[in-house]
Amino acid sequence: MSQVLRIVRRLVGAAPWAMARGAALSVVVLVMGAALLGLSGWFITATGIAGLAGVGIAFDVFRPSAGVRFLALGRTAARYGERLLTHDAILRALAALRVAILRRQAGLDAWALARLRGEAVLTRMISDVDALDGLVLRVLLPSAAALLTHSVVFAVLVWLAGLPVALAIAGLYLPAAVLVLWALARRTQGPSDAAEQGAQHLRRGLIDMIRDREALILTGRLDVRERDLMGLDAAVRAETTGLDRIERSAGALLSVIATLAATGAFLAGGWMLAEGRVDPATAVIGLFVALALAETILPLRRGFADLGRISGAARRVGPAIADLSIVERPPLNNAPVLRITRPDLSLTLAPGEALALTGPSGAGKSTLLLAIAGLLPADGITIGGRPPDAWSEASFRTRVALLPQRSALIAGTIRENLCLAGGFSDAEFWASLEAAQLAGTIRARGGLDERLGEGGHGLSGGQARRLALARCLLRRPDLLVLDEPTEGLDDATAAALLGSIRRYLPRAAILVALHRGADHPVFDRICRLDGLR
Amino acid sequence: MSSQRQRARQRIILPVSGDLKAAGRLAVLAGLLWPVQAAAIAWAVSGWVEGEVEPAHTLGAALAFLLAGLVRAILDHRAGALLFRAADATIARERAAMIRREARATAGIGSAAVASLVVQKLPLLQPWITRYHVAMMRVSVLPLVLLALSFSLSWVVGLTLLVAGPLIPVFMALVGMAAEEASRRQMDEIGSMNDMLMDRLSALTDIRLLGASERATVDFAVRAEALRVRTMAVLRIAFLSSTVLELFSAIGVALVAVFVGFTLLGEIGFGSWGSPLTLGEGLFLLLIAPEFFQPLRDLSAAWHDRAAGYAVVADLDALDAAERASMVGSGEEAEPLAGAFSLRTEAAVAALPGREVTLPDIVLGPGDALAIIGPSGAGKTTVLAAIAGLVPLAAGRISVCGSALGSGTADGWRRRIAFVPQRVHFADMPLGDWLDPRGTGADPWAALRLADAEGIVDRLPEGLATRLGETGGGVSGGEARRLMLARAVMEGGDLILADEPTADLDTETATRIIAALDRVRGEGRAILVATHDPALAAVMDRQVAMSA
Repeated sequence: MSQVLRIVRRLVGAAPWAMARGAALSVVVLVMGAALLGLSGWFITATGIAGLAGVGIAFDVFRPSAGVRFLALGRTAARYGERLLTHDAILRALAALRVAILRRQAGLDAWALARLRGEAVLTRMISDVDALDGLVLRVLLPSAAALLTHSVVFAVLVWLAGLPVALAIAGLYLPAAVLVLWALARRTQGPSDAAEQGAQHLRRGLIDMIRDREALILTGRLDVRERDLMGLDAAVRAETTGLDRIERSAGALLSVIATLAATGAFLAGGWMLAEGRVDPATAVIGLFVALALAETILPLRRGFADLGRISGAARRVGPAIADLSIVERPPLNNAPVLRITRPDLSLTLAPGEALALTGPSGAGKSTLLLAIAGLLPADGITIGGRPPDAWSEASFRTRVALLPQRSALIAGTIRENLCLAGGFSDAEFWASLEAAQLAGTIRARGGLDERLGEGGHGLSGGQARRLALARCLLRRPDLLVLDEPTEGLDDATAAALLGSIRRYLPRAAILVALHRGADHPVFDRICRLDGLR
Repeated sequence: MSSQRQRARQRIILPVSGDLKAAGRLAVLAGLLWPVQAAAIAWAVSGWVEGEVEPAHTLGAALAFLLAGLVRAILDHRAGALLFRAADATIARERAAMIRREARATAGIGSAAVASLVVQKLPLLQPWITRYHVAMMRVSVLPLVLLALSFSLSWVVGLTLLVAGPLIPVFMALVGMAAEEASRRQMDEIGSMNDMLMDRLSALTDIRLLGASERATVDFAVRAEALRVRTMAVLRIAFLSSTVLELFSAIGVALVAVFVGFTLLGEIGFGSWGSPLTLGEGLFLLLIAPEFFQPLRDLSAAWHDRAAGYAVVADLDALDAAERASMVGSGEEAEPLAGAFSLRTEAAVAALPGREVTLPDIVLGPGDALAIIGPSGAGKTTVLAAIAGLVPLAAGRISVCGSALGSGTADGWRRRIAFVPQRVHFADMPLGDWLDPRGTGADPWAALRLADAEGIVDRLPEGLATRLGETGGGVSGGEARRLMLARAVMEGGDLILADEPTADLDTETATRIIAALDRVRGEGRAILVATHDPALAAVMDRQVAMSA
């Protein structure tokens, strides 16, 4: 529940004025609707009485008929404004929410980032954010507007048509509608969340089945997987069938409530008439107003039936938008670029030095490099005199660049991929490609504006890696950390690559984890990591 | 265009038209109850004015009003059940067809696109099915009935409705067309924004390391803002169409109210047939006027649902028409093919979508090791795929264990081979389950040891329970290959097909893979590798060259 409130605060907070204007207009629309029907009913009955009594000439027809026209047109205009304002406000709020989520995801640690499975996260995020728009647009705003409208109408009816009529309407509408909607939200809570989760499982299962197609065929499990997915679909549809039944019953009850309230208002009016406390024209006002008020409760059914899905989404999205705060501190200039003091390893690295880090697979080289880059907890590591997590993210990234073991490219041109490192001139792009021993390949393929497919499709594994390396080099960091930059290259190219990296960044401290080629002349020292085992 | 819509209706609507018609009849019946309720009120109030204020009079009318209201709610409830059933059956049918087809004969449009069609877009058919046809049936009956009732009491009221009513579809068509085009553009925009977001998410580690998180986020925010502006442009039009409808109905109802009022006062002396309009008739007219417009407004709302439905069917049609890569056999569990192990290809030609690849003639017996060598693009991967029955043949034949590889033998043949693809893909499941695809429950450590992958699993934070990233996030390229080899060993069988097992690896890592393959061969299994790595080719018994 606290997550739901937090989301509400954020959604409303993103555009409070647009939200408030939209809510105010919602009330205007509903009140004008009730006034229109009430006035029309009173007008016709009153003219009927005047006509029968033969006093038609004396009856003031112009003010009521002008009122009818004003209410009819005004209500239409208010409705248009209300729809535009509330949708605009909610779109602003949802954009803000998406950005907050993306920002939060970018702050996860290395393990969590590696486990990010694109589709699963994306579709979850999209459908959650989609679900959340219903929270304000279909639950909060209309409920608040309905309550306000009923209060206004009650006050006016007490004054115009008498307390019994006002009580009959408020007493029949409000408690019954609240009860039905509460029960609806309660009964759909579980199934609605379950249906949504099931749909997401189905989506992930389908993606996996198609991607894993060859392996499934080879192991003869295709039909098994298909049956699993069919079973999942059947389960999801069973939930939605149950949801539909509950929701339809609630809809029928709400429509019966509206009929009951109209009947109650009619009987109350008739009773007051029989008591001689009002004239027939006043006695019908309640009935007509009650008929108009049906539109305050009927549209609520959809939103309340969705509350389960919405609160599930809020539960998942809520923690994803908590703010990260990192305190910026002034740089320390005299400390070594990198100092590591750990039981298994102790080293310092000054500007212009290059160090090769060797050791068997599994000794923890990649983990160490991720820690240096601030993606994993970094005990005993200081960069420029302080631990990685004491830096602000922005200034840390300008000083330290890491080429991880597995790099990802984005769909788009070579240039767009390089631009992730920041804005640079074409000459600088080519210089970095040159240093990454990739300029020839890119030139032959059509230059910087050559398009790559999703995930860098179109380059070989080694080429994609060197493009990622060029991207790192562009940042001209104080500390360049490379994880196996020569993997997959022949010895001559590997040696040339190490040399050209050094020439490109003569003043940087360079730390390279690698299996072979540690005897290359660029390295001032070799350090061996044997692991703690 | 119209023939496409015709087909869309045949595909989606025709199979459920029985339910839709029944629901439509119930909805029309429910709509016809409103004049009954209106008449009860009008009768009671006109009695009040004439002095009949005793409770029995009022109570009788109230009871009639209440009963009709209850019946109306029940009819609507029942109609809703029929409509839901129709929509559910349609979605279930289309979904099942796609689940059964998309992996067997893949269309190459991307798994995410198929999943989004199945999970997200198919439910968009529901509003079309549940709303449009019922709205259509109500429109074709209710306004006519209410119009006839109005005419029978006052030709002026009838005429007012007659003029205001038909204008609604005209405006609806004009505004609706613009809205349809705009909403299609918006759907495309959302799709490409989702693609962009997915791409950024999978490159998030790199984005973060490049210090580009903030830039990527801002870039995304700018695009989201642009999307909001475009969406609002669409909504302005879409809301305008419903506002125009509301405006017409509001003006129509206001005109009726004012006309009836003036007539009752005696200030207007025309418009009714002979005798002047009574109060009861006037109230009745006022009450039914809004309901004359309601079906028209419902239909216009459903108009957008129909457009969305057509868009989904167009996607379904496009997927049906897509060129598909098929396979041999069914991909289902089968008994291992009987007979001594042997493999022979004779003048076989593999049929890829839009391309044919001629296979070299290969003969392979138990324990043989063969390398297919050749430059990239020569079709080495296709040769392995054809031998595994993943690609059908256009000509020639492949004999396996003495019989021809065909739909009857492919599944059994696949039980006797294991395949190590070049592309790294880990399914979203714990590593232990992934290593044991046939679910034998056997101990994976022997296979891991054989493939030199024991240490890799030891080092993972949760060991065999680890879920690796889709492309092996968490392990290096060489480690992923060794895990894949361990999986092939776990599967058992007489032949391991390995596609470029040392591609993109440095010499040391490649040497470990080659050594592992050699150990596997030492266990008596035949090996067929496709490679351009001379070191790997050298340890095989024979080499077959392919040219580009």
